[in-house]
Amino acid sequence: MGTDLATAAQVVVSGLLLGGLYALLAGGLTLVFGVMRVINLAHGELLMLGAYVACLLFAATGLNPIVALLVSIPVLFVVGAVTQRFVVNRVVNAPLLTSLLLTYGLSLVVTGTAQAVWTNDYRSVPFITGGFALGEVSISRPRLLAFAVSLVLTGAAHVFLTRTRWGKAMRATAQNADVALACGIDIDRARMLAFGIASALAGAAGTLVSFLYSVYPEMGRAFMLKAFAVIVLGGLGSFPGALIGAMILGVVEAGAAYLSTTQIAEAVIYIMLLAMLLVRPHGLLGTAER
Amino acid sequence: MTGGAEARIPEPLATPLLSVDDVHAGYGRVRVLHGVSAAVEAGQLVGLIGPNGAGKSTILKAITGFARVSAGRIRYDGQDVTGVRADRLVPLGIAYVPQGRLVFAQMTVHENLEMGAFTVRDAGARQEAFSRVYDLFPRLADRRTQLAGTMSGGEQQMVAIGRGLMVRPRLMLLDEPSLGLAPRFVALVFETLQSLKAQGLAMLVVEQNAAQTLAIADRAYLLELGRNRLEGTGADLLANPETRRLYLGD
Repeated sequence: MGTDLATAAQVVVSGLLLGGLYALLAGGLTLVFGVMRVINLAHGELLMLGAYVACLLFAATGLNPIVALLVSIPVLFVVGAVTQRFVVNRVVNAPLLTSLLLTYGLSLVVTGTAQAVWTNDYRSVPFITGGFALGEVSISRPRLLAFAVSLVLTGAAHVFLTRTRWGKAMRATAQNADVALACGIDIDRARMLAFGIASALAGAAGTLVSFLYSVYPEMGRAFMLKAFAVIVLGGLGSFPGALIGAMILGVVEAGAAYLSTTQIAEAVIYIMLLAMLLVRPHGLLGTAER
Repeated sequence: MTGGAEARIPEPLATPLLSVDDVHAGYGRVRVLHGVSAAVEAGQLVGLIGPNGAGKSTILKAITGFARVSAGRIRYDGQDVTGVRADRLVPLGIAYVPQGRLVFAQMTVHENLEMGAFTVRDAGARQEAFSRVYDLFPRLADRRTQLAGTMSGGEQQMVAIGRGLMVRPRLMLLDEPSLGLAPRFVALVFETLQSLKAQGLAMLVVEQNAAQTLAIADRAYLLELGRNRLEGTGADLLANPETRRLYLGD
């Protein structure tokens, strides 16, 4: 019995560690959806760019990927804000399909460009390795570090959204853009800021992923699907919902991977997603659309 | 009908605070207004009445940039504001309270008011605005931490009006403020409009509750099918046999 319990604890701990990273990635996706009703299918590519920032800096200067966050976060913020201002803002009021097509197209362009510039080679950033035991549960050091940084950044984004003037303006824009305008809020600026922050969070997630997984141009796709699953679970547009959804997804994924193979674990995620859409389509913390 | 309140702002040409001149406006390809004119002088309460489809709300939306103006001019305080978006009108002193008691449902009452004061950067002025609104609606003061979405319709309308007042506007545009409210809240809305008028706030009020609006309005316009039909003082229109026949159901 003792070992079963230890196994369960191990699964939960591994899952939560993974969940932190998913929360960081999904927080941006849900923020963009909330503020402009756009599902950014290029969100995974922003993660990929964040991972390459860390990779290239490491290759050139041996820079510690945690320090590389100081580069990837502002760089991806600018990339996101500019993309929103000149590309995505054109489809904010268009039907959902239009923005899906646009952002899917963007993801193909970014992936293709990355393949041309950086080739399809797998890269990695050798950083801290190993782990330690906590009772019968073993904890991987790099994953714990990625988890901790993810929580700090997700928390910082949450504080920004709930405490600051522009953070609140972004939430107001998400809840009712017309009333936000009537309050004197420049909703275009709020949307640009939201996309910039979402991209910065995705970029930060990518930088953290760079020392956990291989870095290659198409790496964003799998992460995008997971982030999407997280926001469907947690409720589209809900930031706390994304955190809870990410933890659930992480634990389910770790559990399914323990009980079966990784491929089946992926399938379990989508079965869960489907069940969620059937039972509670607005997610755990999301609000039903009028 | 002009009170002494205007005396503090010298207006050499006696131009109104807001003037809507021969405005044609609509949404996409649908035209709703076919040349409507109206004016609001400083400190006046002006009513816009008329049957459904007359284009009353569209006038407010044309002023605030939510409806597209295809011809005509809108001037405010001496400047042309035709087609200017709502967020740029707020710093000029125009507050807009849209129809439907629209609030930020997932925000508290206090946060809703705070959003109303988004353009007010001075901390003292913000504080003053909060106390002014909480004094006007003590009920909101008691519920400042409640989520606006969980309040009754009448309370949400107070939040919406209070939010508009946070910028200390010179002109407030109100779209159907009493629509769908319980009778006691309808009475409260009209009392509030009167007390705001007494404080010198100019208002352009769209209302289906014509009799009560005309009773407190300095001037009013009766619209029909996107055109001006009648205009005059509130009392004139209230007494006008045509208004009564057409609209008040006599």
